[in-house]
Amino acid sequence: MSNITTNKEIKKVLFIGAGSNDFGREAEHDAAIYQVMPELRGHGVEVFVIDENPYALSLESLAATTFWQQLTVENIKKIIREHHIDTVAPLFGGQSSLRLWAEVVQSWAYGDGTMPNTLGLSIDMLLKVNNLPVLTAFMSEHGLPVINNYVLKAQDEANELLRELQLPLMVRALHPNQTNTRHVVERLDDFEDAINLAKVQSVTQEVIISRAINGLKEVSLEVLRDFRGNKMQIGASEDMDPIGIHTSDSLSVSPILTIQDQLIGKMRDYAFRVADMLQLQGIMHVQFAVDDETRRIYIIKVSPYIDQMATRMALATGYPTMLVAVNLAMGIALEDIVLPHNFGVNAAMMEPMMDHVVVKLPVFPFGELSEAGVSVKRQLNSVQKSIGTTLGFGRTFIEALEKAIRSAHFNNASFSPTNMANINDDELIQQLIHPQDNRVLLLIEAIKRGYEIDELAELTAIDEFYFYQLQHLHTLEVEIEADTDNIESLRRGKRYGLSDGLLARFWHTDFNIIRTLAKENSINVSYKAVEPSAGEFPENARQYYATYETENESVQIHDNAVLVIGSGAFRMGDAASGGYATTITLSELRRLQYPTIIMNNNPSDATLLPHLADKQYLEPLEISDVMRVVELEKPQFIVIPGNRRKLIKALRNLGQRVVILPKERHTPNGPNENQSEFALNLFYDGHDSYPINLTQHMAGEMRIIPQIAKMPDDLLATHIDNPGVYQVIWYQNTTHWKEHVDTSNIGHDTWLRPMPFGQVAYLTKAMQIQWIRLTIRAATNEMTEEDNAMLSTINQRLTTEQIGVIASDVNYRLHLQPSKVIDGTRFEIGVSVKHYG
Amino acid sequence: MMKRHLILEDGTIFQGLGFGSPATTFGEIIFHTAMTGYQEIITDPIYDGQMIVFAMPVIGAGGIHAEAYESVKPTISGMIVHDLAEVSVNRQRRMNLDRFLKQHNIPGLYQVDTRQLIRHLRETGPQKATIVDYADEHAVDQLVATVLTNKQVQNTATPKPYANPGRGRHIVVIDFGLKHGILRMLGDYDANVSVLPYTTSVEEVLTLDPDGIILSTGPGDPRTLPESVLTLIRVLQSKVPMLGIGLGHELFALANGAELKPLPSEHHGMNHPIQEIISRQIFYAMQGQGYAVDGETINRKKLFVTYRDLVDGAVQGLRHREFPAFSVQFFPDAAPGPLEATAVFADFFETVEDYVEHYN
Amino acid sequence: MANKEVLDNASLQRALTRITYEIIERNKGGQDLVLVGIKTRGEFLAHRIASRLEQLEEVKIPVMAIDITNFRDDVLNHDDSLGLNDEERTNIADKNIVLIDDVLFTGRTIRAALDALIHIGRPKTISLAVLVDRGHRELPIRADFVGKNIPTAQNEKIKVFVQEIDGRDAVEIVH
Repeated sequence: MSNITTNKEIKKVLFIGAGSNDFGREAEHDAAIYQVMPELRGHGVEVFVIDENPYALSLESLAATTFWQQLTVENIKKIIREHHIDTVAPLFGGQSSLRLWAEVVQSWAYGDGTMPNTLGLSIDMLLKVNNLPVLTAFMSEHGLPVINNYVLKAQDEANELLRELQLPLMVRALHPNQTNTRHVVERLDDFEDAINLAKVQSVTQEVIISRAINGLKEVSLEVLRDFRGNKMQIGASEDMDPIGIHTSDSLSVSPILTIQDQLIGKMRDYAFRVADMLQLQGIMHVQFAVDDETRRIYIIKVSPYIDQMATRMALATGYPTMLVAVNLAMGIALEDIVLPHNFGVNAAMMEPMMDHVVVKLPVFPFGELSEAGVSVKRQLNSVQKSIGTTLGFGRTFIEALEKAIRSAHFNNASFSPTNMANINDDELIQQLIHPQDNRVLLLIEAIKRGYEIDELAELTAIDEFYFYQLQHLHTLEVEIEADTDNIESLRRGKRYGLSDGLLARFWHTDFNIIRTLAKENSINVSYKAVEPSAGEFPENARQYYATYETENESVQIHDNAVLVIGSGAFRMGDAASGGYATTITLSELRRLQYPTIIMNNNPSDATLLPHLADKQYLEPLEISDVMRVVELEKPQFIVIPGNRRKLIKALRNLGQRVVILPKERHTPNGPNENQSEFALNLFYDGHDSYPINLTQHMAGEMRIIPQIAKMPDDLLATHIDNPGVYQVIWYQNTTHWKEHVDTSNIGHDTWLRPMPFGQVAYLTKAMQIQWIRLTIRAATNEMTEEDNAMLSTINQRLTTEQIGVIASDVNYRLHLQPSKVIDGTRFEIGVSVKHYG
Repeated sequence: MMKRHLILEDGTIFQGLGFGSPATTFGEIIFHTAMTGYQEIITDPIYDGQMIVFAMPVIGAGGIHAEAYESVKPTISGMIVHDLAEVSVNRQRRMNLDRFLKQHNIPGLYQVDTRQLIRHLRETGPQKATIVDYADEHAVDQLVATVLTNKQVQNTATPKPYANPGRGRHIVVIDFGLKHGILRMLGDYDANVSVLPYTTSVEEVLTLDPDGIILSTGPGDPRTLPESVLTLIRVLQSKVPMLGIGLGHELFALANGAELKPLPSEHHGMNHPIQEIISRQIFYAMQGQGYAVDGETINRKKLFVTYRDLVDGAVQGLRHREFPAFSVQFFPDAAPGPLEATAVFADFFETVEDYVEHYN
Repeated sequence: MANKEVLDNASLQRALTRITYEIIERNKGGQDLVLVGIKTRGEFLAHRIASRLEQLEEVKIPVMAIDITNFRDDVLNHDDSLGLNDEERTNIADKNIVLIDDVLFTGRTIRAALDALIHIGRPKTISLAVLVDRGHRELPIRADFVGKNIPTAQNEKIKVFVQEIDGRDAVEIVH
């Protein structure tokens, strides 16, 4: 039995989407599927995709037959049966999709017909990957360094292990009679007690011992393998935060800065051996725990599928990751991969090199929750608490860090430096040992108070390098602050990525003054390309980031380009809908043949996919960042989400034409448990309003009311500023789904608002009408006859299929330990389709 | 830190801040795209007298480590980086990159727009350069007047034989300025190593009764070495299994009648796919080369091409048709660089074992 | 109990590569070369070596497979068909044959193969290439090309896995 999948056998491929968004599951999988489906189609393969997420772009792809259905074993089997699917691609949908496909495989019965192949992994390996103890044992058999768990009963067995494994050790109870029995033993004296305690805590008096790895460095490698066994490394990153803090919650840096070549080489070798062991055809993320001093390395996680590391590395390096990954899965050898012409001839085979630094910062939901009076446990640990990701690009660590902070934390009060001064020394030490989301500022505060670097490195298990860097930043800030209006200071500050806003605060002035001062003194931004050869070869790059150096590589792309301002990180409330709206906007502008430019910093959604725009700026989205791009590109207009009021005003003041994507700053409200929120939905094309339909929203669920919507007369007179989808909403105390609502009295106790993007995505899929595309057409005067005809009768069209959406069951207790129940309607993270009736 | 200047022979001037030694320096400037192993790279004798520009934006974050030396004394003429990280990881001596370069009298320059410099150098190719305090006419004249040495092998190779004893096979290393990685690899096989000057005679080598011969890496142009070296190779390759590496590979090619040609662009890095022709397997290795064996000049009746760089097509390995003698242009000692390339040493030792078994 | 891997995928590939180079070294470019694989795994190894020769020399080297089950000296009833057609039988006359097998153990298999080859034609030379030589010879036979010498105890078993049938390349000692 050969594991080699060849092209010829593959005719119909089904992609399994990742499902609704959740902690650790932003839109990266959907972005990957959305990107690779047309590539497969280009290979002459018929493509199918199933997902339940209303924000899934892949479900709106023209390259595939799409199924907006709940991700269940039955639904998948049905599609396979009815469409004669011969191959299933679960690896692009990540772990949840792999698990689901493993369930399908395990429940496959004689009557189900021939089981389709799995793209990229054999069934045998797929099942191994899906079973952690089996996978760990498999790696151990192959001589790979994994953390083994030893189960034992007697003290003398424990003593043997102590000598073999050495301290520190993790001791916990097998079959525990209480929740947390983990105990890290660092001193010999504690060993016996820990064993005895764990025995008491175990129903069977058995103890699990393993090596403790808390405090070690966490490193990630991204590798590829083709069917011939050729392997390459396409990215690597190190976490500043030690193991013990979930990697998604860690500050991560690419390239690896603090670990020596020999250790990285070893990790690369291990990752390659895992890829060979799994006979992988595709992409894999391997996570390691590294002990610099003893030079020990442990493999802590193996993910042979798309995850956030994959999409982050693709963006950080400019390597065509997804296109290559899908070719490898199809059984095409590395050397035979043909890439679109904008990539170098050998781009697929060259390991990407970086001449810039990329810092990833997580985005936490704490701010939004505390505004709503929900307090949560902010202390970071091995359970993920962040929900979003942003990247900062720069030529130094400090510059990249400053930009990542600006991308991740604008408007976040806990990041205010003044906040830090109020922390007393005891709290400071407590927080150094038990870090929270704002630990970077805390570290700077500790340096400010004169803690020694050795001491801090010891307390926090963070590499000294980072403290030297933060110390450097602190010195820089102090010097600049003391040196008001000094041009050399300004130059130094800009070089290290300090924003106009921050410099303005130091010098007690306005950011516009700083901007002008910089301009007058030729302190100009220079954009550098993100391309995978690090300058070795002439590039045809589309991605740029700002820095302050001599040579600028970015020139105006076109006289008539359109600049789209992205929505930034995945945040609570907006969930993935912001990225969805931005991506569709780009796609529609491209269809209308506008040269497009996107500015954004979120690696986990589709907005920065290379094929979606003619040019990308990987930048924070503060006013000064946008202004600099506008000055260079002189776009014919700028598309901005409506909630960016200050930015809109600033751009209009500069005489820029602004197209607004109607959106309100998210105000967390929605129906409470005893209420329904009703909406009369309408489209405004710039001249007239057209009623669309009516929807009912109960806590956690939304449906379309089967009733023809009519526009009340008083509403026709209401002035709306920008084209788009709007709704008039009102509340009623009812918890029953309505077949009909009275709209005669509308205008009383109701209000008009832009329809949240989440609902726009729902209506788009349920009605099969592309509302965001229509909005863009209306805003650019590109509406067609058909559009007008459609709009004038749209309210007559009653959806026969009963499709609603439902908030998914996010485990807030596990992740955030909130003080009270978090309402999924108000703090939406994930949504999925629900067929009712 | 003081403002200093880098002047290129073509007149281009870059400004930066000085670190390391404050001396004025001259050398051929090249760029390196490797993202790891700066310490190994600056101590590798193949870069004797050269000035290295690093594409890696942050250099120095790992400090200086005892186990990462590729020679006892670094002999590069300068180091140009974007961001210099001030880290002291060596607890006894508080050694960092800045101090290390000062100690060895090597000037460095940082806060340079290295991406601009590299994009410039990829067009012009390597050229003479100088790091000075003031970029005045005098400095430019000095640079133009400077003649760089072509005696790099003599500068770095051992003048005297020495041993690195082990209990395994006896391997003679002919030294052209070897990097420590080769000895480290031989140590992994517990080889009993004799390192000999390249001026050693055939008789002297054979008297030592070696099980295998390694022609080491080294700096500069192999064509500046005496003809006797090629004769030595021609005789030894027919008697004992042989592995040539880097400069040793180029010499092995020359000894068998092939010629060298300059690469369209120099390549110093570890990201090019190298293909083993016989198996079509692709792997990656540290490479540092301005020249390659000209494929057109290879006598196919004598030599095979065994490896190729898939990016520029350059010959990366040769093998003799009749003798157990082969060579690689890339560096298989993985110091720094990908470990997969170390398979070349496994090949060599298997060949040695096989040879011992069959012919002794 | 887990088997012990003595050759992994990479070292198995390297062994085949080295054998190929040595075949060339000793056959001066491979004129009149015919590779004969002993079924089952020897046949796949022969094809691997042939494709390596082809990559390197850009010539196609003939490969044939023989099934010597019926030629073993411990099996009665010699059947001389060997699964070969007439053309293949004449092919080997005056050729330089490289006989290829996965494991060299007692030597009896090789002896049977030699008998068979001489029986069907008169090759110029016959040399022997094996992936693994595990010792314990009962006949005066030695291999010209050896991938790896693996000293074994009599009671141990060596198992060769090849991609074509086993889905992976490896050599293991089976307990």
